[in-house]
This record gives sequence, structure tokens and C-alpha cells, in this order.
Amino acid sequence: MKKYFTIIVVSIFAMLSCEKDDICIEATTPSLIIHFYNNDVQTESKSIEDLTVWANDKDSLYVNQELDSIVIPLDLAQDNTLYKFSNNLIEDEINFTYDRKDVFVSRSCGYKTIFENLQIENNTSNWIKNIEINNSTIENDTAAHITIFH
Amino acid sequence: MTQLRILLFFISILVTSTVSSQQEQDTIKVKENYGIRIGFDLSKPINTFFETENKGFELVGDLRVYKNYYAAVELGFLDKTTNEDYINFTTKGSFIKAGFNYNAYKNWAGMTNEIYVGLRYGLSFFDQTLNSYTPNVKGTYFITETIEPATQFNDLTAHWVEFVFGMKVETLKNLYLGVSISFNNMISTTDPENFKNLHVPGFNRVFLNNTGVGFNYTISYLIPIVKKNK
Repeated sequence: MKKYFTIIVVSIFAMLSCEKDDICIEATTPSLIIHFYNNDVQTESKSIEDLTVWANDKDSLYVNQELDSIVIPLDLAQDNTLYKFSNNLIEDEINFTYDRKDVFVSRSCGYKTIFENLQIENNTSNWIKNIEINNSTIENDTAAHITIFH
Repeated sequence: MTQLRILLFFISILVTSTVSSQQEQDTIKVKENYGIRIGFDLSKPINTFFETENKGFELVGDLRVYKNYYAAVELGFLDKTTNEDYINFTTKGSFIKAGFNYNAYKNWAGMTNEIYVGLRYGLSFFDQTLNSYTPNVKGTYFITETIEPATQFNDLTAHWVEFVFGMKVETLKNLYLGVSISFNNMISTTDPENFKNLHVPGFNRVFLNNTGVGFNYTISYLIPIVKKNK
């Protein structure tokens, strides 16, 4: 009887330790990746020397940095996000519109949001010469979705 | 010297075998109960008591078919809400498992305890409700809101096989306490669109590789029907 009791106790502990084991390792909601290219030589990437980026009414994501590409999140609460880009204190804004779709990933990761039909609703052109959408579906963080020529 | 030892060895084997054969001749005839044993899982109502969002009940039954072989069946229902980091869902449905147990325990005369291995086929009909989820985003630049779609996925099925190890002890006359562990392997399941069956009644939590584990703590009563000689 003592043997059975030990086995029962061990089984109870085994049951209690079975919950919450996996951690989220899959890719979740992707961000928008923008590359900056030279408008004169369109195959050449060109850094912005003094870049500051922020979404409308929000804190800055990048402040006075020299970069040739940026990764910015899109707003999941609405179908558009207005971003402002300041290059050497010259300000331009781009209004991105998209359709949101929530895709199931796994137990631990839950759902991720992917963005389809990415479009540029309107933008100003103080320092931005041209904008090209490379991929209108944002499913992953692997390649640039937008190219900005300046 | 070694020859003597070999001789002694064979003599001892001979002696033990004759002794045991004598014992077989000596045994008195013991009548054993063959009948239906029915009971329920004790852990499920206890879980309900501690977790209000986990209601379940399971009936168990087995029938001694031949010597050490028992036909076994379990049936029950479950209504359980699971809360994960980014999702909250409710699983509701019923299940039935049928199969057999083989008792590997050699009882003393008159005792009917069991240490058994078994195999089951399990089948479940259930619904899933995705109560809420929060889209998983790295960073907190934009505030993510929890969405409450309350999407219902009805008429889902799952079927699987189980390997069972367990024991039953006769504590009072014809009253048995049992404990068992089962290792479940999903054969197939109808997964809902854009969601997954993360919990299946009877199968329990579905792990990444479509396996599961189950624990049973049962109390059951044997209704003796026929008595047979051992």
C-alpha cells in the first residue's frame, strides 16, 4: 500500500508540473521595413545623415541617426498610420493605409497581425523624391517593403 | 570443484521445479469474480471545485472478459476555459474511449488487485469558442487592444489512441481505488479555420507534436455476476 501511495503522490506532482511549458519562438506581428536609396543612382542605397522618425502624436522611434534603413511598427487599432520623417530638420509625412488580418500562430504566441494591400494614401515631398512599394503584403520582417528615393 | 558446483546448480533447479509442481497440485480451487466494474474519476469534480472554469465528469467501467483481460470504457464531458498569454478559449464537448486492459500483476489467492497496461481508442465531439485574443506584437509603441470575437467553432471531432498504465487496489470488498496515466497520440482532428484545437475533451491539452497526457484517479465498484474457478 505504501508503494501505491508513493506512485499516487508522484503522479500528482507530474500532473501539476505539466502546464505552461512552451514559450513563443515563432515570428509574430511584422513591422514595416523602409530602405533609403539614392534618387540619382537608383540602384545605390543612400543613408540619411540626420534622421528622426515618429508616428503622429507619438514619441520618436529614431532620433538624429544616420541610417539607410528603418523598421517601424504599424498601428493595429486602425487601418492607417501616419508617420513623419525629418531629414536635417526638413519634415515629410507619409500616410500608410492597409487591411489588417489576424493569423493564428500557436498556443504560446497567439495571433499575429499581417497587413495586406499596403498603399500610400498621401505624402509630402520636401526631401522625399519618390516612393516605391516593393511588397504590398507585410507578412514577415525579412525584406524591405518600401523604398524611399531621396 | 567447478564440476561439483555445476552439479549442485542442476540439482537445485530440479528441486525447485519439483517443489513448484507439487504446489500446483496442492492448490485449492479459488473462485474468482467476473463482473462489471463501474465508477467515476475523482479528480474531475475536485478540479471543478478549485477552478470554476473547468467543469468535467468522467464515468469509467470495465468488464473482465477472460483471465487477465478486461474490456474497458470511459466516457465523460468537459467544459473548460483555458487562459494563455495571448488567447483565451473555451472547449466544450463529450468523449468516449474504448479498449482493453491486460493485468500483469500476479495476485495471491483471493485477491484481485491489478497493475495493468492497456490500449484505448478515443473519440470526441466538441465545440471551441475563441473568447478573446491580443495580437502579439514586439514592443509597445502602439497600444494593442484585446479583441473579443467570441468566435464559435462547432461540430469539431478528434480521434486518437492511448497507451494506459495503471493500477487498481481493492480497498473494501468489491470497492476499488485506481490510478492511471495515459499517453495519447492524435490520429486526426478537424481543426477550426485560423485556430487550432489546443484542448480536446478526453485527450486533454494538445502538445505541439499532437500528443497528450492524461491522469485518472478512479473509485469503482465491482458488481459480481459470475464466479469462475481460477
